Amino acid sequence: MKSREGLKIARLLMVLSSVSPVFVLWAVRGSNGGVPNVCFVLLCVLLFLTPNLFLLCRIRIATKKKGQGPRELVVGQWDDRGDHLLVYLFTMLLPFYSADLGTLRSVVATFIALAFVVFLFWHLNLHYMNLIFAMFGYRIFMICPPNSDNPFQEKTRYSLITRRVSFLPDQRINAYRVSDTVYLEAK
Amino acid sequence: MKLNFNLDAITKVSEFCIGREGSGQRRFVVVPADRAVIDELEKMVRRTWDGMAAHEDGCVKYEPSNKYASKAWLYVPLVDEMVVEMRNMHGAANLPSNAKELSTDPNEIYCYFVRLTDNQGQKLTAVRRASYFKAVSKRPLIQVFDDSVVMVTNALFKLDHDFDLLIDSEHVHILRLGAFESIGRLSEAILSSVPDNISFIKEQLPFIELGSIESYARTHIRAARYLASICAQENLGRIDMQRLLNQCVSTEVKAREVEGKLVIDVGAEMNFLQVLDRRRYGMELVMDKPEIFVAGSRKKA
Repeated sequence: MKSREGLKIARLLMVLSSVSPVFVLWAVRGSNGGVPNVCFVLLCVLLFLTPNLFLLCRIRIATKKKGQGPRELVVGQWDDRGDHLLVYLFTMLLPFYSADLGTLRSVVATFIALAFVVFLFWHLNLHYMNLIFAMFGYRIFMICPPNSDNPFQEKTRYSLITRRVSFLPDQRINAYRVSDTVYLEAK
Repeated sequence: MKLNFNLDAITKVSEFCIGREGSGQRRFVVVPADRAVIDELEKMVRRTWDGMAAHEDGCVKYEPSNKYASKAWLYVPLVDEMVVEMRNMHGAANLPSNAKELSTDPNEIYCYFVRLTDNQGQKLTAVRRASYFKAVSKRPLIQVFDDSVVMVTNALFKLDHDFDLLIDSEHVHILRLGAFESIGRLSEAILSSVPDNISFIKEQLPFIELGSIESYARTHIRAARYLASICAQENLGRIDMQRLLNQCVSTEVKAREVEGKLVIDVGAEMNFLQVLDRRRYGMELVMDKPEIFVAGSRKKA
């Protein structure tokens, strides 16, 4: 059975939000002559603001009072994905921060490399990896339902954005849908 | 009979789901829905409960061998093996979510349901067979938009007036029996429970030779339904062998006693089950003209 996850554009913008700290660093660093500095900084500001504003809108829509409302998720097994942020830091931010932007060719090549990374994040549903969540005190967990003989209970894995540090066995929580695989715990 | 759910204290925690059936497999998917849709589904739940409460006879326990009106208020305990499909639907956690499922292969959608939570944390699942949706999706519809008429090419999903079933923590409440039997795959559930039912009856009535009945019931759904009903009877173990044999003789059921056991002739299995299920009667209102009846539906006076 093919799984056709929805919100394709939303997930893409959320991935861009994940990589947006790179644009902040580039804007501060400047283009080193590859492209006119003003244009480069404006582009970086645009690439930073647009997906993050979208992410904010997406979360507000998901959590609004007149929206669908939260759904109940049961946490059987859970896995702290905080280490992914470290991987993200060392494989994403640092290499791209130090990329050479001295010529037009190197700027284009860097953006193409970034596009590959963005595509991979989007394809692998890693759109939840975002430093901004961490800055606001949120953690990311991968949760699975408890083992059950119920044939309708699939082993669906969700990414849960929450302020908790752990879960009780078979704990039930209410969470808003940010995407088909990412949920934000309701207060 | 009360609902184990407070309809006046429904919280915002809810799920709108569809059931899909393809290649003999069933699965459920959560479809994200706007608050307005959830509100309408909650109204459907209230209308369903009001419709059930309006039945003069009140709530009657469902017996698989009885015949009922197409719309009646029946209930089955959620622990009953007959409703294992409903129990799994009610209890399945973390169903996958996908907004596109509603428009993909709509003919595969066989039901839709909403799962609600009240302020005490109690859950209610309201289920509706989606047969009307399939009919609508086959025909093009015309929608008036502003002053012009346009063709609607996308599949439409139309909500019904009420639900067929309500499932709370203890019971399945049935408003439409046909939908319950279809959604719950009742025939399969009853046929698969034949060995367990035979074992149960063997313990209660060890003097009956049940071998031929088990073979017959495994392939005949009506006989399997009688078995399920018989197992639910009170005082099953107190049935007297001689009285049972007398009733068989008086209603022309071919059964005889062989070495202390009641043996049923081949071909008489169904008739014997009718006697055991208390629905085969003999009457002689006219001299020398005995009549034998089989009750499709019976109710204890």
